[in-house]
Amino acid sequence: MNDTLIHLEEIVAHEREHECEGLGPRRLCVRPVSVAVLPTRFGDFHIMAFWNNRDGKEHVAILHGDVVGRENVPIRMHSECLTGDALGSLRCDCRDQLEAALRKVGTLECGAVLYLRQEGRGIGLINKVRAYALQDRGLDTVEANRALGFRDDERDYAVAAHMISTLGMKSVQVMTNNPDKMKQLQDLGVHVSGRIPHVMPPNVHNRFYLETKAARSGHYIDFSGRAHLPEQAEPVVIEGMPEP
Amino acid sequence: MNAIFPLDPHPGVLVVGAGIAGLACARDLAHRGIPVTLLDRGRGVGGRCATRRVDGQPVDHGVAFLHGSDPAFLDALHSVPGATLLEGWPSRVEGTGAPCQPDAFAPNERRVAFAEGVTAFPKMMVAGLDARLVTTVVGLHAEDDLWRLDLAGGGTARARTVVLAMATEETLALVDGLPPGDLELEGARHLLRMVAASVPCLTVIAGYPTDVPAPAWDVAFPETSSILKDVVHDSAKRQDPRWTVLVIQAAARWSRQHAGEPVASWTQSLLSEGARLYGEWVAHPAWTQVRHWQFGRIESGNELSGPLVVEGAGGRTLGIAGEVFAEGGGVQAAWTSGRLLAARLAERTIG
Ligand SMILES: Cc1cc2nc3c(=O)[nH]c(=O)nc-3n(C[C@H](O)[C@H](O)[C@H](O)COP(=O)(O)OP(=O)(O)OC[C@H]3O[C@@H](n4cnc5c(N)ncnc54)[C@H](O)[C@@H]3O)c2cc1C
Ligand SMILES: [Zn+2]
Ligand SMILES: [Zn+2]
Repeated sequence: MNDTLIHLEEIVAHEREHECEGLGPRRLCVRPVSVAVLPTRFGDFHIMAFWNNRDGKEHVAILHGDVVGRENVPIRMHSECLTGDALGSLRCDCRDQLEAALRKVGTLECGAVLYLRQEGRGIGLINKVRAYALQDRGLDTVEANRALGFRDDERDYAVAAHMISTLGMKSVQVMTNNPDKMKQLQDLGVHVSGRIPHVMPPNVHNRFYLETKAARSGHYIDFSGRAHLPEQAEPVVIEGMPEP
Repeated sequence: MNAIFPLDPHPGVLVVGAGIAGLACARDLAHRGIPVTLLDRGRGVGGRCATRRVDGQPVDHGVAFLHGSDPAFLDALHSVPGATLLEGWPSRVEGTGAPCQPDAFAPNERRVAFAEGVTAFPKMMVAGLDARLVTTVVGLHAEDDLWRLDLAGGGTARARTVVLAMATEETLALVDGLPPGDLELEGARHLLRMVAASVPCLTVIAGYPTDVPAPAWDVAFPETSSILKDVVHDSAKRQDPRWTVLVIQAAARWSRQHAGEPVASWTQSLLSEGARLYGEWVAHPAWTQVRHWQFGRIESGNELSGPLVVEGAGGRTLGIAGEVFAEGGGVQAAWTSGRLLAARLAERTIG
């Protein structure tokens, strides 16, 4: 067993029965339940599974190197997207975003991808398909998406902030193109020491961004050429594009 | 057509539907100092939180008990003045069939009933509010920067902001009449169509002399019946009941298949099934009443995450709430959606 794993196991042992007031308006509290080694095609990681007190949704932290007690830990928040992450859907760029984050973190001394699950149960996934059905008809309005709970950031931030505190990170650098994300984490008591732009390598699906101004509007252009709100809630930045 | 209010247009918000969603919305708007008037076609408030009196004895023939896990909602349930709260009702549950709400008996869920009937809760909510009962809205139209509501009987009411807080199908009946063109409205309308899947519930209220062998349970969810969803031992909620009362509610599928039949026929089927499951005496009530809930409940999976706000020309605003517009459905969701809508409407300047 490596030292990092021992550190992480100590956290699990120590926090197993953790309970607190919770973070954010919904008073979300998560506790680590188990940790293991996770070799991936993007690098070597540990995976720590968290249980949450509100709705039974399980979240995971994908960790590279020893983040415990460290300053300036690079972190990336990723919202679960079954269709993109697992099925390779081209309606969104979630999978590209996730791969870019894992690859990047894998090359650093240490870092974490906080994988936040929204779609585990009931209405999340169903309502996402409804949102796509509205997109198909050109009816994905701001209001309709809001009613569908499309991008419930508030929950994401609370879970991420709690994970950061559970893992004892002293300060974090947020990998994002949306500086709002830093402020939201700060409001939840996280010490944010900086931002790392989240830049994706060009591929056949996103290359055209380099030639269009579309991305500057903050929208994501999907396979059919339609612009809509990006699912990871931030502007798309491809290598070679000016950073936001 | 004549305006029904002395002030035309109405200076604040008109809320159509005084069920839990409409009441929660109206109450929060009123707390923020916004003038609000509720319109409901019923003779009382509460919608599907419904109690009638038979021989002076209250009978809940819609929702049988209230349940939730949101601390604010539970606080509201526990703050009904003068009502006899039955904490933890139903405590005696028979059978392993599914309850109306899948989460009703989840570990963090609390349940209550009221000896005076479930309408004690909506009656508390309407206190101090302006509610016009027996007022059915039959049409919704845009008129410059106002909404105009047409009422059964010929009156009209107009306001800049209108809230629709009904079952989705009832909301759609009004929204479907609006002309196409506005993208936000189209998005909202399409979304409403996607989630309009309320299930019906045929309900028989059966009264028996109190010397029948009354059941030893409060609610039964039979697992072996394709006809019955549940049977509620309603008189177990009452102090010194004059009648032993069962509220027998049919399963959704069965309700759909038999709703077109004569009332006497489906009443007989429900009583016979009750007798098969719980004893021959159930087949022979001293009296019966019925209720056909056309839009009784929603199936889980059909809920959205929040209410809709559609803004039109000149600040004309339509808000839409109801049990569909919050996670979980049911009474707690209706309440939550109404409150969220009030908060969002109050964010913008109204009037
Ligand atoms: C048999 C049954 C069992 C149920 N069991 C449970 C349960 O166990 N747990 C649970 O949480 N929920 C249960 N429900 C669901 C629960 O009752 C509803 O989710 C909740 O009461 C809905 O509140 P609402 O305000 O959204 O709608 P409603 O209560 O339907 O309110 C809508 C109001 O609008 C009025 N209205 C409609 N159309 C018009 C019009 N054109 N003009 C004027 N007024 C109009 C109606 O009269 C009504 O008062 C049950 C429902 C039924 C019928
Ligand atoms: Zn905690
Ligand atoms: Zn996605």
